[in-house]
Amino acid sequence: MMQGINAVSFEVIRNRMVAITEEMRIALQSVSGSPTVTEASDFFTGLFLPDGSVVSMGFQVAFQAPVSGTVIRHINKSAHLKVREGDMFIGNDPFIGALHQNDVQMIGPIHADGKIIAWAGVQAHQTDVGGMDFASWCPKAKNVYQEGIRIPCVKLIDRGELREDVLEMIVTASRLPDALGLDIRAFIATINVARSRVSELVSRYGSEVLEAAMRRMIDSSATRMRSRLADLPDGDFHACDFIEHDGHENRLYKLDCRLRKRGEELLLDYSGSSKQAPGFINATRAGLMGGVSGSVLTTLAWDIQWNQGILNAVQVVAPDGLICTAQFPAPVGAATVETVWSISNATMLALNKLLAASPAYRRRAQAVSDGCMATFNLGGVNQYGEPFGLHLMDPIAAGSGAWACKDGIDAGGPITSPVPAIADVEKNEQASPLFYLHRRLARDTAGAGKFRGGLSAEVALTLGGIEHAEALIMTHGAEMPNTQGLAGGFPGCTVRQSFGRGAVKDGRLLNPELQALGPKPGLTPMTRRDVFAVTWQGGGGWGDPIERDTEAVGRDVAVGAVSGEAARTIYGVIVRDGSVDQEASKNERRTMREQRVGRFVTDPEKFCKAKAMGSIGEALFVARDERGTHVVTKAGFILATGHTRWRSGAVARTYEQLPPEHRITLHEGLAVTAYFCPASGTLLGLDVHERAARPPEDAVLDLASFERLWQSEALRQHDVSSHNEGEDNGSD
Amino acid sequence: MGFFVGTDVGGTFTDLWVCASDGRARVFKSPTSRDVLGGVREAIGIAAESYGLSFREFCAQIERFGHGTTIGLNALLTGSAARTAVITTRGFGDTLEIARMRRQTAGLSEIEYTDAYLRNQFGPLVPRRLVVEVDERIDANGAVVTPLDENQARQALRELNGAGVEAIAICTLWSTQNPAHEKRLRDIVREELPDAFISASHEISPAVGEYGRMCTTAANAALGPLAGQYLARLEAMLRDAGMQVPVLMMTCSGGVLPTAALNDRPVFGLNSGPAAGVMGSQAIGERAGLMNILATDIGGTSFDVGVVVGGKPIMRSEIVLAGADIRVHSIDVESIGAGGGSIAQVQFGELRVGPRSAGANPGPACYGRGGVEPTATDADLVLGVLDPDNFIGGRMKLDLEAAQRAITERVARPLGVSLMEAAWAIREVLDNRMADLLRRQTIERGYDPRDFALFANGGAGPSHAWVLSAELGLDSFIVPATATAVSAFGTGNSDLGFTAEHPIYVRVRPGAVPSEKQFAQIGEAIRSMTAEVRANLERAGAKANARITRLMAIRFRGQTHSLDVELEADAFGLDELRHATAQFEEQYNGLFGHGAAFSRAGYEILAMRAIGKGALPPPALATQGEPLKRVKQRKVVFRDPKTPVDTAIYLTAFPEPGATAEGPCIIEFPGQSVVVPPGSKALADEFGNIHVRKSA
Repeated sequence: MMQGINAVSFEVIRNRMVAITEEMRIALQSVSGSPTVTEASDFFTGLFLPDGSVVSMGFQVAFQAPVSGTVIRHINKSAHLKVREGDMFIGNDPFIGALHQNDVQMIGPIHADGKIIAWAGVQAHQTDVGGMDFASWCPKAKNVYQEGIRIPCVKLIDRGELREDVLEMIVTASRLPDALGLDIRAFIATINVARSRVSELVSRYGSEVLEAAMRRMIDSSATRMRSRLADLPDGDFHACDFIEHDGHENRLYKLDCRLRKRGEELLLDYSGSSKQAPGFINATRAGLMGGVSGSVLTTLAWDIQWNQGILNAVQVVAPDGLICTAQFPAPVGAATVETVWSISNATMLALNKLLAASPAYRRRAQAVSDGCMATFNLGGVNQYGEPFGLHLMDPIAAGSGAWACKDGIDAGGPITSPVPAIADVEKNEQASPLFYLHRRLARDTAGAGKFRGGLSAEVALTLGGIEHAEALIMTHGAEMPNTQGLAGGFPGCTVRQSFGRGAVKDGRLLNPELQALGPKPGLTPMTRRDVFAVTWQGGGGWGDPIERDTEAVGRDVAVGAVSGEAARTIYGVIVRDGSVDQEASKNERRTMREQRVGRFVTDPEKFCKAKAMGSIGEALFVARDERGTHVVTKAGFILATGHTRWRSGAVARTYEQLPPEHRITLHEGLAVTAYFCPASGTLLGLDVHERAARPPEDAVLDLASFERLWQSEALRQHDVSSHNEGEDNGSD
Repeated sequence: MGFFVGTDVGGTFTDLWVCASDGRARVFKSPTSRDVLGGVREAIGIAAESYGLSFREFCAQIERFGHGTTIGLNALLTGSAARTAVITTRGFGDTLEIARMRRQTAGLSEIEYTDAYLRNQFGPLVPRRLVVEVDERIDANGAVVTPLDENQARQALRELNGAGVEAIAICTLWSTQNPAHEKRLRDIVREELPDAFISASHEISPAVGEYGRMCTTAANAALGPLAGQYLARLEAMLRDAGMQVPVLMMTCSGGVLPTAALNDRPVFGLNSGPAAGVMGSQAIGERAGLMNILATDIGGTSFDVGVVVGGKPIMRSEIVLAGADIRVHSIDVESIGAGGGSIAQVQFGELRVGPRSAGANPGPACYGRGGVEPTATDADLVLGVLDPDNFIGGRMKLDLEAAQRAITERVARPLGVSLMEAAWAIREVLDNRMADLLRRQTIERGYDPRDFALFANGGAGPSHAWVLSAELGLDSFIVPATATAVSAFGTGNSDLGFTAEHPIYVRVRPGAVPSEKQFAQIGEAIRSMTAEVRANLERAGAKANARITRLMAIRFRGQTHSLDVELEADAFGLDELRHATAQFEEQYNGLFGHGAAFSRAGYEILAMRAIGKGALPPPALATQGEPLKRVKQRKVVFRDPKTPVDTAIYLTAFPEPGATAEGPCIIEFPGQSVVVPPGSKALADEFGNIHVRKSA
């Protein structure tokens, strides 16, 4: 028997609460008019405790998990906001609780026996909420006043009565008042559904049992999360991501994540991140917490019911005034696709380095997926003579990251959206004045590795049915490969966006050579003879590409995923007449290994013959002999003894640009350093970093805890023992 | 003697329902054979023998032969369908690869969505190397932007020639608005690959949205050669044995069609089993005067629900099969992983039941096949609901001790409760998950579950139905005489049915009126669909009594979700439009609450559909049965695990009309156990169906 509730009632109510958030989703999608809601799942539904803890949430954008809770806490401490039965509040202020102003949300208390027992929350991205530029993402904004309307937290429904005057004030601020009005009606319907379903549960079980069940749901997830953390080795991990261009200048900003894991505790420290920017790429603390939530839920809690219990296990450190804790009145309009996204990249990368060192979860370690969200917004008068605004969702069809045991998914997109989707080309052309020249997978976009990332998709489009419109084009990740790889895997390609004035005739490109755009060209007029083309980032790779199965590379070449040149220069595989030349490939790979390190080290003193006790990635192992505990390579070469800071023992090479086959452009402030095994030339790790400074070691493990976990996973030992038997001793 | 026959080929068993002209219906089962046909033949053989007839004598007396099969779906899942190529517009050859990003999450259950590691369990229906891009492009208005380059298309097809392609799916952008290029491509394919089976998307799936249309067309093409051969062999086998009537195939939309009408569109029959199940319940309901039905089916691994409102099953326009979005109008059957094989486990002091299932192997612990995890079937055995010596008609002995051990060790001890409490807890959690699905399928659509009759099908349905109906506040439930073979029954009892579809796009701004041309287009669409439906029904043998329903999909301008409204006639003008939008708003308010409608937005008309039904009168089932035989009594748990109740056990194969039994009792059939709780009473009707009703 659990506290206050028996096991059966708990499980029955738990299932019901999850079903209710799903019913909320269906209500929202049925009434909403936003393609971002109905086709692309850029929204959130959830149920909350009176203190703002999320109890149950839908399978949409995981970044949104903590947001409404922040607003509930704001209401709780604001004496002037009187909450009465039947009320609903609307808000979108990032300085109170929203990722950015486009994310309009609504929350409503659920009463029983005269008191609030829960809140229902719903949120959806709105294409336009006002501000100096169409779509409310204003590259030239210097402060938040120039961006979309901020609704702090306003009562829109007062004891069941819609305040039409307030609604009018809100929709009036938008360039698309009808779309916003329709979505707000959808929000009302969604909260009504939650209220009626939760009330049915109250009348059946009583409010006390229901409240106990909700608290128990959070405890239950917390218990499972603690157990998950206890299963992972202790240590300090590091990862960072970069954003180029703040809307005003092409400067580089760093999102720095230091992860400290001890026992059942997880601390994430972002203090090393850049100071807040003068442009709209910033996020407030609400954005930081959203980015953290999206990463932790998906990367550590894949089989635990998503709620506050998981989030409470994480302690976040970040002083005010950073790019991820921007202070008022910093502009934050593009937070979701800039800083929030990158916080999540850096955090997931650090978390996956932790998984990679764990015996139980090593194979789940994944490189970064879909590293940024390039933006293409279009506004004007559509083919039906109506004002329109579209926010193209296709860019989520970037590649997903490779896993430690398999390739990433082509056009797999972000994992922070559990059920991602994009609309049909025909649906987009019917609803909006667009005409696509292509939507396809893009060759050589995947991060190279033993397991490669997923390919990105790419599109080229012009206008259809109208003469001209205004486009907003912006991204980051054009000069920073955000989908970093793991264990020696390469990042996927950088974003390539280009424009051709007068380049289209009769639905075809006159000249395939288009003008390359920088990361943030911003607003630009477009006609039906112009074309916009964009390729997003492929997923990051896992492990050294020259250890990829040669036949897999051959298949990649055959289907056009990898070009013949990339197969040779990146993978060391020679494909002739559609089939792999094994002999030539073997020689090519051997030459590559030698070129990487010069002469192979053979001094027997530098090697450890002992069987590895565990692995910390693809080609790095921990082994112990009479000299101590070492980090060794697959070849048995000792990189470090007594600790896991192995980089100083490897051969390091720093590059300011990578070979063109990677399709990676590096910002002038960035460099890539590769670390090779001195005895075999195997690529062990790859860091993308500021040119001026190398990053710190990325995985400093507590060897005692590492050893204990690996020994208790006796079954895994078998896999690991192969390190001495591998073919990889420089003679491959 | 004449026989009405319905057959349903499932993954494990081939079910045969036979009704003789004396009105008595029986069910026969045979293991599904690898070649499918053998299992059908075997089942017919068993039936013939039981009537004391030879195979030939039996076949010669068949008056109707209905058939449903999962052969197509299995072929797609195992990759044994025909080698298929896709022809599409240049620039869009990766449509099946990108798959709107949806394929990667297809087949995942709700609790698996949060685990990205599980994604991508299905590949594309057609591999990229068999997708051919041709130079052509039509825009959203149907205007040719880039003319079809016939030479290039021909060249590309010739390159395919060596690849051993057996079928071609043609799906170009906007062929729904202007099929000229697809038609021309079909001619070219006929010339270049004369032996290939060809499907064109504007015919197979005329709806806007290239991904679903391409999936559907590709699936259809891949099934074409196989389905044609299979049906031809089935027809030949039965005809050679003397059968005089055509084979009637079940379709996903719940009607049957002669095989000839399905030869060019096998995808319409792709997932007909669940649809046949709902039609079976609907047919029984109709005879009993029940128009609102919750058709449930509890098997070993899944709980399936279809909903019939006003005598018509609720439909859906798309279904995800083999990882692909198949756009075929189908009876909406929703499914969750909850059944007799659902595994109970305790982790961190909490009990969870399903969706993981023990399946048939090793199966529940009580099957004695090495299963150690407790399942819902084990709980039923421990609670006294199942008889260890009379399971599936005594063909299988259940190991009570194994069930007790599994539940004690893995549920009772970790939770600190008694064995009986643990067994009941498993039931309660599982039954509530099923009740949640029933609520979702009714309340969410604006219906009150109390206005429905619950039909309990499948091996485990009749023993769980009393809890489900109590959960939903219903007074009664019905166990059809054919509960264990309801899909076979459905194939033997459904009317002829054909659905045609026509995309259209008319945007009506607030206060504006469509142009004369648009009205004319709509009218023309209605007329051509109705004609298509009528012609197909006539070809299928429908008499003059075909009923045609015309539907129009409408939504508020700017929305994505549409509702169907019914149109009275072929003609369409301003009055009809006003009537349609008024009907739409009424439905909308019903679904989303009064005042939710947003008429200020204007409307969009999206698609037209015509559904034709041709009556095929089933036999009048005037039955004779046997009295219910009270054989013993045992202790069974109803609600209170501490005090099992003395419960009478009855045996029957087919109850006689008017037979009754007072609860608490269990009526054991060869493949199912009808549990009648205390305070309820069972009554057999004239067709052998059992109605369990709360005593007044």
